Amino acid sequence: MDLAIYDLKLHRGRFIATVIGVGLLFTIVLAMNGLYRGNIQEGLALIKATNPDLWVVERYRGGPFNEQSTLPEFYHYSVKAMPGVEKASPFIYYTVERQIEGKSRHFSIVGFDVFGGLGGPQKIYAGRNIEQAHYEMVAHQKLGLRLGDRIPLGLHTYTVVGLTKEAVSSDGEALVYLSLPDAQEVLYQRDNEAVRDQRERLLRTLSGQSYLSPSQAEKLLPKLQPDTHIINAILVRLKPGINRAEVVRGIEKWLYLSAFSTEEELQLMLKGRLASMTKQLLLFRTLLLIISVIIVSLVIYTFTMEKIRSIAVMKLIGAPNWVIIRMVMEQSLLLTIGAFLFGLALIHNTYQLFPKTLLIAPGDDLFTFMVAFAGGILASILGLWHALKTQPAMALGD
Amino acid sequence: MEILRIEGLSKIFGSGHLEVRALEDINLSVSEGDLVALLGPSGSGKTTLLLCISLILDPTGGKIVFDGQTIFQKNGWAGVDMRRLRREKIGFIFQSHNLIPFLTARQNVLLPLSLVGLKGEKAESRVRELLEQMEIADRADYLPALLSGGEQQRVAIARALANNAKLILADEPTASLDTARGVKVMGLLKKIAKENQSAVIAVSHDERMIEGFDYVYRLKDGRIVGEKTNSTLN
Repeated sequence: MDLAIYDLKLHRGRFIATVIGVGLLFTIVLAMNGLYRGNIQEGLALIKATNPDLWVVERYRGGPFNEQSTLPEFYHYSVKAMPGVEKASPFIYYTVERQIEGKSRHFSIVGFDVFGGLGGPQKIYAGRNIEQAHYEMVAHQKLGLRLGDRIPLGLHTYTVVGLTKEAVSSDGEALVYLSLPDAQEVLYQRDNEAVRDQRERLLRTLSGQSYLSPSQAEKLLPKLQPDTHIINAILVRLKPGINRAEVVRGIEKWLYLSAFSTEEELQLMLKGRLASMTKQLLLFRTLLLIISVIIVSLVIYTFTMEKIRSIAVMKLIGAPNWVIIRMVMEQSLLLTIGAFLFGLALIHNTYQLFPKTLLIAPGDDLFTFMVAFAGGILASILGLWHALKTQPAMALGD
Repeated sequence: MEILRIEGLSKIFGSGHLEVRALEDINLSVSEGDLVALLGPSGSGKTTLLLCISLILDPTGGKIVFDGQTIFQKNGWAGVDMRRLRREKIGFIFQSHNLIPFLTARQNVLLPLSLVGLKGEKAESRVRELLEQMEIADRADYLPALLSGGEQQRVAIARALANNAKLILADEPTASLDTARGVKVMGLLKKIAKENQSAVIAVSHDERMIEGFDYVYRLKDGRIVGEKTNSTLN
């Protein structure tokens, strides 16, 4: 005779409401799991997709994703000249917010050497890769662009020639691939008014120097314009059979730069930018699980308290403790499992609607279920403790 | 055959100046088919005695012999599985019926049978038989909340009889019923005692309800102060 089921049938309204309430908490826990996985996947996606043998960055900088790294573009010739290096390509990466089709969109731009250089899009599911030096772009499907769309960025308009869906920026934003000079121009080129302002400012500064005549200052001005041939990293492909550590040592010693393998670059992200978010999500998940267990525990305690006289009667008529333990624990587990399944169904049907990518992993679902199951057992302890210390004498009297 | 013998039973609560002698030197003997009433005002020790006989309250002294086995003497309970004894040999009827609210009448009667491992058609047929005997078979699938007080008490009696208990303990079984229903319930208890050869010990404060009982023990301040048999009653 399944006493737990009979009791829940009688209180089915409250049971269902509790299942939904706790289920929503589990939905958030599972969403946090997905967010955690999605955060890591997105944070590492571009590094994995690019996957060069070496990332050469500014000395002592963990760039270009975990930390800002700035290099003169011509450095890639020096890197190319190092023994063991087969190919060295300039690479630039930055985040912008621009108007696209009338909406303000946040996305990241990757600039690469479109003529055989490293760092371009690996898989294009529609259209083609960039084939011209200027004014072509490959965009991530997240931006919702179509092939042939013409998108104004900065001073020029770019045509969408290809669409990709693999890599996203480390923040999970859409990526736009441009040729290196285009990407530099979008980043550094200012409008005419801003250029005029800066020239005026520089000219005033130079004219104020007593050792420069106005004509000398005028002549000096073009030389002092800011350099836009800046990159964030140099992507390196090594010759086959070359010892990577030796090449890294050479780059660090002779070029005064830092170099990381793709694996090291991934670790930099995991231990750097992604670490705090990972810890934060873990904390939220832990707190939510504790809250779920407390709620189930209180509900089961209330259920048990309402049955305390029935439990006393059962004890008086000789019901062994296991009958009572089974009843309380079954209710707790039914509530926990029911709520978990509700949460699981909900998240599996809604995860596409979240603004951030949720990567739902069966392993995470299973682990959360096991924690929830253990929590359900834990939650029944308070009710069990009360049920087992109930005196059968309570059944006597009115 | 003797079902229950109590010799010199006492129960003291507290100690020193807070000591309360709830029961003192109680002696009684109950045999198969006996109808025994415990009468007395509030605080006289009726319920304490019932709790001791129910094996849920430890007496302070004395001896209890149940179904030929000494289960309590001055050293304490004699290693008996008290819950097993209660579920197999004792039936309980309560003042407020105490049916399990989330079980139907049928399931309430089935509960003690399932506790002793009786299942399937055998158990169902026993439940039907009891509910018919209590004239409540048509309400078998009703939850207690949908039954009247008298109907609930009849279900409670059916539950007490389910395992062919040798001893039925009834704690004020008519207290929550009107006189007509109370008389009917007491009539059922008498019928059970005679037909099933179960001994019935009923606690009551209403002398009208114990008409026809074989033995009446009056308690006052924890002592039996009066004892009557059927012959002296009539």
